[in-house]
Amino acid sequence: MNLFYLSSPSTFFHFAGRLAPWFFVLAAVLGAAGLYVGLVQAPTDAVQGEVYRVIFIHVASAWMSMFIYFVMACYGAMSLTFNSRLSAMMARALAPTGAMFTFVALWTGSFWGRPTWGTYWVWDARITSELVLLFLYFGYIALANAFEDPRRGDRASSLLAIVGVVNLPIIYFSVQWWNTLHQGSSVRLTGTSMHAMMLTGMLLMAFSFWMYAIGAALTRVRSIILERERRTRWVRALRPA
Amino acid sequence: MDHNFYLAMSYGATAVAIAAELVFLALGRARAWKQVNEERELEAQD
Repeated sequence: MNLFYLSSPSTFFHFAGRLAPWFFVLAAVLGAAGLYVGLVQAPTDAVQGEVYRVIFIHVASAWMSMFIYFVMACYGAMSLTFNSRLSAMMARALAPTGAMFTFVALWTGSFWGRPTWGTYWVWDARITSELVLLFLYFGYIALANAFEDPRRGDRASSLLAIVGVVNLPIIYFSVQWWNTLHQGSSVRLTGTSMHAMMLTGMLLMAFSFWMYAIGAALTRVRSIILERERRTRWVRALRPA
Repeated sequence: MDHNFYLAMSYGATAVAIAAELVFLALGRARAWKQVNEERELEAQD
């Protein structure tokens, strides 16, 4: 298969349409399994009690907020480097889902912080840099839609996405670089200090959110392709919805 | 406050956020198809 076969919007439109439902199904199955393991099977935490179960969505959404931003910036870089239309569309399609996961990470962190730290919010390095990530997503979405010509919006927003990548290591290493209230990482590449069932629940939720993000991005990019290519012959030839 | 409140607010808000995004995805799809159909009508008039 030609490496650039899928870089054509018309080809990718059909490809995304076939794949997206499967990613939503996978997300639902993994999510159901993750919720069962996290809320039923995983043991009660010895220190935090039941409220620790917030981490099954908090950690998974925080991981996704950073991962989606990184992928979005990669698409932005590809768009600027190769001047490829589809890369810019994919970056645009990912941004709202990334913003949603960032909001969920902040919200759930707040409802975990109140019973454990005694406060909903603190201007801690980890939490503040995650809030900056939410503003970067908002800035990206606003900038991408601020131009009459969408290609100009693509270029400006791609540049913002690439510059914003500097915030990702700040979020990740903030708990090591500064003295923060937020706890350090419990899961590392070298191992974990968590109970196996807790780790299983968290990973299942993370994979569920990952599959959901792919399904949502593929669905959204189809709408973006339709809007941008509506004057082309292949879109007019599509069966009316 | 009971820990159930914090769990409900976390899981509930996440469910609402995902549901809202799915609604926006459907609205975006409908808007895109509307634009395509308008373009078709314009072409038919020509």
